[in-house]
Amino acid sequence: MADKVVKIDVTDGASIPKTGDGIISAWWVSFIGAISIIAYLVIAQPDPYKDILLFVPDGILVTFKVTIFSIMGALVLGLLTGLGRLSKNKLINLIASTYVEVVRGIPLLVQLFYIYYALGRFFTVPDTLSAIIAMSVCYGAYMGEVFRAGIESIDDGQTEASRSLGFNSRQTMFMVILPQAWRTILPPVGNEFIALLKDTSLVSIIAVADILRRGREFAAESFNYFETYTMIALLYLLITLILSRGVSYMEKRLSQYEK
Amino acid sequence: MFRKVFLIVLAMTFVASAAFAGAKKVISIASDCTWPPMEFVNSDKEIVGFSVDLMKAAAKAGGYDIKISNTAWDGIFAGLKAGKYDAICSSVSINEKRKKAMNFTVPYFEVKQAVVVPKDSDAKDLSAFSGKPVGAQIGTTGYFAIKKAEGAVAKSYDEIGLAMEDLYNGRLSAVVCDDPIAANYALQNKQYATKLKIAFIVKSDNPEYYGVAVNKKNNEVLDLLNKGIEAVKKNGEYDRIKAKWFGK
Repeated sequence: MADKVVKIDVTDGASIPKTGDGIISAWWVSFIGAISIIAYLVIAQPDPYKDILLFVPDGILVTFKVTIFSIMGALVLGLLTGLGRLSKNKLINLIASTYVEVVRGIPLLVQLFYIYYALGRFFTVPDTLSAIIAMSVCYGAYMGEVFRAGIESIDDGQTEASRSLGFNSRQTMFMVILPQAWRTILPPVGNEFIALLKDTSLVSIIAVADILRRGREFAAESFNYFETYTMIALLYLLITLILSRGVSYMEKRLSQYEK
Repeated sequence: MFRKVFLIVLAMTFVASAAFAGAKKVISIASDCTWPPMEFVNSDKEIVGFSVDLMKAAAKAGGYDIKISNTAWDGIFAGLKAGKYDAICSSVSINEKRKKAMNFTVPYFEVKQAVVVPKDSDAKDLSAFSGKPVGAQIGTTGYFAIKKAEGAVAKSYDEIGLAMEDLYNGRLSAVVCDDPIAANYALQNKQYATKLKIAFIVKSDNPEYYGVAVNKKNNEVLDLLNKGIEAVKKNGEYDRIKAKWFGK
């Protein structure tokens, strides 16, 4: 196997500040800031704020569930699409490209409506499951492009070298190319994760009781719109911060192979 | 050049609106037009319905103009509080909780909560839906009725039509909404009428009425609307409009 890995500088882009340098980072400032604002609001005005906080927890669980299963679905679909688009087989290539073009051209909200209400005329799928299917299908298309770009960024010499060492094309892809491409792929995939988490708020349209739906139910009953949406914004911020921490941890683990 | 034209147009708009304002008071009314036959958008993309006709007749009788804009139900009260429009005429039931947040005109329609179910269901009251999903529009009296019913799994939708679609597709056991709307979906709509029926009316201790909601401080608009509605009720126009939308 090739012993010298070609170094790719995509993760070191100047526009993306690296998290976790030193004690004070943007991540900690936002995280502690959000927690202390929530704590202050709940202590200073328990009347609406604490009630909201007690009303939404099952919504947080639903949002987590939809996010995690959709990420897994989107990763699998993304990998398949990315490989499909690089395939020499014309038919597979055409199927993968068509999937990306079609899904990328339809807004997620419309896809949700379609999978839930339009297809609901023929198949009765539970609401959370159809939310997960719609999110996975939508984000699978975007991730497919990320995977394709990542795989294409690996130098051709890698393929040539591993093929001349006797690897077949599948072994070359999974044992040589993908492990290297993963480092390039991870930052944009992390971005997609966070975008996906925020877009789960759209599933409230198909009566899935996520954070936003729970919050809206609270607001509709109590007329505390300002207070409710403040709390919901802070909760979404906290959850995305936790997810982005997870992504940067994975990046760090991978960056140890850089040299 | 473009900026100049833009400024002139802007100035003219201001002058024009100021001139019109002097003539007749225009009351802007928000309405969630997804609630047939009370208020909805017809095939010509016009906002029509019982309450729309009523508001137009009241404006004529009361000597003011109205402008109805289609606004999503979710957040319609927040918009009133923020002063985006003067009033809400959108099948708003008058209740104590809402009265604390806004003022209401005199009642203009009595309403009951009807329960729509599939034709083969034999439910007689809300307790029949223990552990089963029941849908309603978010923030409506129907939704609060489900939440009060023990055991039923309340599901809230942005529009009543989406809840009906889910009932039709078999994901819900029942939908609770105002009786004229229930009748429209379960009896008038050709597709739904083959599969759905109105099972029963939810029993309630006190009668429920629709009123036009107005911001707490806006007494001028409240008086004008009251004057118009009272006049329409007296001169027989009200009965004519009711007959037009509901038959006899």
